[in-house]
Amino acid sequence: MTSFMVRRLIAKDWRFNRGLIGFYIAAGVIALAMIRFGEKIVFYTGGILLISALIGLGIHLTIATVVEERKRKTLPFVMSLPVSFMEYTTAKIMANLLVFLGPWLTLVAGTFVVILGREAIPNGLTPFAVILLLEIFVGYTLILAVALITESEAWTIGAIVATNIFFNLFLFYVSNRPGLAADMKGPTAVWGAEALGIMAVELAAIAVILGLTFFFQSRKKDFL
Amino acid sequence: MTSLAVHFSGVEKSYPHFKLDSVDLALPRGCVMGFVGPNGAGKSTTIRILMGLVHQDRGEVEALGRAMPDEQVAAKWDIGFFSEDMRLYEQARLDWHMDFMRSIYPGWDPDYATRLLRRFDLNPQQKLKGFSHGQRVKAGLMLTLARRPKLLVLDEPTTGLDPVARSEVLAELMEAMTDEERTILFSSHNTRDVEQLSDLIVFIDRGRIIDARDKETFLESWRRIRLEAPPETALPELSGVAHVKRSGRLAVATANRFDPEMAEAYRQAGAAVQKVEPMTLEEIFVANVQIGRGEAND
Repeated sequence: MTSFMVRRLIAKDWRFNRGLIGFYIAAGVIALAMIRFGEKIVFYTGGILLISALIGLGIHLTIATVVEERKRKTLPFVMSLPVSFMEYTTAKIMANLLVFLGPWLTLVAGTFVVILGREAIPNGLTPFAVILLLEIFVGYTLILAVALITESEAWTIGAIVATNIFFNLFLFYVSNRPGLAADMKGPTAVWGAEALGIMAVELAAIAVILGLTFFFQSRKKDFL
Repeated sequence: MTSLAVHFSGVEKSYPHFKLDSVDLALPRGCVMGFVGPNGAGKSTTIRILMGLVHQDRGEVEALGRAMPDEQVAAKWDIGFFSEDMRLYEQARLDWHMDFMRSIYPGWDPDYATRLLRRFDLNPQQKLKGFSHGQRVKAGLMLTLARRPKLLVLDEPTTGLDPVARSEVLAELMEAMTDEERTILFSSHNTRDVEQLSDLIVFIDRGRIIDARDKETFLESWRRIRLEAPPETALPELSGVAHVKRSGRLAVATANRFDPEMAEAYRQAGAAVQKVEPMTLEEIFVANVQIGRGEAND
């Protein structure tokens, strides 16, 4: 019965956010087309649009599925169903990850296709792009975790601002790492120790954030 | 199977500015309990504890024989909960909500749901965004009732409703009460609604249960005895009289365990009994709260 209710809640969030997902996938596809076919300004604009689409999807999803549920007082309705708070948390995390992962993987695959398929873009950019896309995923899980744990719009906005600042600092840091920068403009993708190490840290961060979310949620005593 | 649908034993919950203190409740299956208290008395907190949505600090809670909050998932299959501050999804139509509930609850009764739609004058094709407050409440109740739960828990269901909507909701709740297996616990600060529906009445104030009896006993136990006596006449302190208020030659004794012998006792003390009046539930509630707070002389 537990997994049944979790599935019902995931389906509900999917149903309510189909339009949102479609919008951001469309924006991502446009961004990839600009990267694939555009020159200079269009190319860079496409890059910014791609990153913005992914960040925007993450923020929008969290606001729509977690923050709004409390703000619009639909949480009592959900919690009146035969579901525990941990199942609610599981459903929210799974719904968000599934919804986010779809467009994210699509855009990751698109990024590979564009980088590898266009002569003007060096294939050496591939590890760098993966690191950035993973960082967006880390930021998204952090925003989702803060929203779930604090149930506060203000804290969630704070997390959005913090992850945005961190992303820009991270971008600067990674692009200036000697172990990465040297290979970025190369003709082949080099999956060196530094690149793989950063990716491993990013994946571990995602796991830790999700683990801490479940831990803090399990300690709560008031859910409304 | 326990004969109690709801059982609270020594339940406590503390917040920085509020404490639910040693709450004991017993609601037998098939009965309707009205849970009455002023705003901020602890009605919603008690109901949330019953639903497992707030965990008590101390004490034991059972709903339909299930320990709460640990067995809340199993219990909630048979509990229909509706709260005045509960909202449905504005972006979805009412028929989406009906499909959603039907997909979850095997006991969903489509014929009853259709009947409720007609009775409440609700359009299932309409999005909730366009619903008035009254329509939202009726939609929520329709979704709750059509599941045919064994225990209905309603937190202030009639608050904010216009007289017509209130009457429709109360009529439907009375209809729901005809099912002898169904137990209803509903909170309100409107004593008229409570008087109309309840078998048992519980008064709560400042986090404490101040009185709990069946409705008939409540109404029969409380009386207002109007007296006339010279100011120097000492009125006897009678067991069962909760409060005496004097103003010159006039005095009003409020009895919470009325006995016809009381009038005779006052007469023997030199007072003239002008009238012995029954009290409405609202008057009983207000007197109960004021006596409990020590404000009866204010």
